[in-house]
Amino acid sequence: MVGYMEEGGKLCCKFEQRLDTVNCLAFENEILEKVKGFAGEIVFDLEKVNYVASAFLRLCLRVFKEIGSGRFTVIHVSPEVKRVFKIAGFDKDLKIQ
Amino acid sequence: MNEKISIPIDVDSIMEKASCAAAVFSQLSQEHTDRIVEAVYRAAFDSRVRLAKLAVEETGIGNWRDKVVKNVVATQLVYHDIKDLKTVGIISEDERKGIVEIAQPLGPIFAVIPVTNPTSTVLFKILIALKTRNPIIIRPHSSAIRCSNEAARICYEAALKEDAPEDCIQWLENTSRTETQVLMQHKKLALILATGGGSLVNAAYSSGTPALGVGAGNVPVFIEQSADVPFAIEQILISKLFDNGTICASEQAVVVERSIAAETMNEFKRKGAHFLSGEEMKRIENVAYDSGKGVMSVGVIGKTALEIAQMAGIEVPPDTRLLIAPLQGIGKDYPISSEILAPILAFYVAEDFKHAVNLCIDLNFHGGIGHTASLFSNDEAKIKEFACVMNAGRVVVNMPASQGAVGGMYNSLYPSFTLGCGTGGKNITTDNITARHLLNIQRISRRRVNQRFERFNKELYFDESLDSEAIEREYNRNF
Repeated sequence: MVGYMEEGGKLCCKFEQRLDTVNCLAFENEILEKVKGFAGEIVFDLEKVNYVASAFLRLCLRVFKEIGSGRFTVIHVSPEVKRVFKIAGFDKDLKIQ
Repeated sequence: MNEKISIPIDVDSIMEKASCAAAVFSQLSQEHTDRIVEAVYRAAFDSRVRLAKLAVEETGIGNWRDKVVKNVVATQLVYHDIKDLKTVGIISEDERKGIVEIAQPLGPIFAVIPVTNPTSTVLFKILIALKTRNPIIIRPHSSAIRCSNEAARICYEAALKEDAPEDCIQWLENTSRTETQVLMQHKKLALILATGGGSLVNAAYSSGTPALGVGAGNVPVFIEQSADVPFAIEQILISKLFDNGTICASEQAVVVERSIAAETMNEFKRKGAHFLSGEEMKRIENVAYDSGKGVMSVGVIGKTALEIAQMAGIEVPPDTRLLIAPLQGIGKDYPISSEILAPILAFYVAEDFKHAVNLCIDLNFHGGIGHTASLFSNDEAKIKEFACVMNAGRVVVNMPASQGAVGGMYNSLYPSFTLGCGTGGKNITTDNITARHLLNIQRISRRRVNQRFERFNKELYFDESLDSEAIEREYNRNF
């Protein structure tokens, strides 16, 4: 499940569960559709997430490629997930908080 | 058909995928990891015959039945060896020492695959990489691309079914030397598992990326006079004929004491060995040894004795299984004293034990430092004496050297298709490489005060008049 909240030029996607392959595939297209037409900043809120699969990293990459640097932030990451972004080398392109 | 078209590869893309796989892998539990490994083992094991036949068909090296056995070792024996190994999170706690060990993955591994054991090496490396949560990139030999990559594909499909990270296994097509070097030097690469020819292993070591490599072998087998000769010859044949001699730990030269030389020769002959005459030996040297490069000729690797005899234009009995060259010396003037991965053996008669061991040392140091030495003996003192003067990661006793060195079948060595050869072979370890080598071990160190150090008057260290003896006396007082 993903909760969407648009406020002050920001689209916040709040993920509510373990982001394994099956779950990611269920919302991947929906998120990409929303991102495509959005001119503001995109925020992925991972407060309730403690596992991300390859599919989620791929989604992050696609969002990043769609909207470019500087407008995409991932927030509320757990240490486990922060390490995932570090190992994948995403921390250089994405803002991770 | 062997496709040798070089397709440019996108090194950065490969490494980005591998890094993502490493990232996702880092979150996996031991239970999930083990589920993936078991699934891969079962899929690989179930494909053992098809992959073996594919390997022989593509490379023309060895025979499919022995390649099946290699695939079995690489899957079943390796799986049973590693399945209960803790490779995730806390793997040991020593309350007394205050040390807790935590296993962490290394990161992307680049696996160089040899032509002699292509599918088995792929299966082996994939299993140990996945067990340790490391993504792996398979770089097949240019003459074994199809079978190596099919082995990798089978493993990958099975891994994905257990929700393994995407791209945890990647495989390359025919990569150029430059592309291989760029990959080896890539900053996101964690380790190179280099099994293969000297030039590739050296390239791995020169890349700046940590590497676990292998050295060349030139395995002497000494039949000591207390040995059971018929048993020894049978075991040597089991080893030397295995996959037509393609294992680098296979015996290359037999050394026998004069007192049992005749019996040994008769036993060899009885079991299908042909002792070469001087003229025959010259002809075999011409086809088996590339004097320009100073190494064995590629054309004889993994061929049968009859095929090699035919190549050399010599006539041998139709039941010949092994060609034996009686030699008087070792070195470049005696080409068959070098490593030849085919059913060809050098043969030396020594005057006594001391002479025999010296011959073995010469053979060991003639291109096989650090690899393997073999001995047949029932004299415990002589076994130890022999082992102590060999420079060999594995000294195998009373067993076939090939299967013995690979481990798991005849002894308790870790089953492995990457045999470390120590510093003599320019390697960091003499171990049989396995999953245990593919972990970063972190240690939580809790306070456990060294009481002698704590209570010792450290001012004494600054007194130049006190020598080590005086300091030790104070340091150990009342302990």
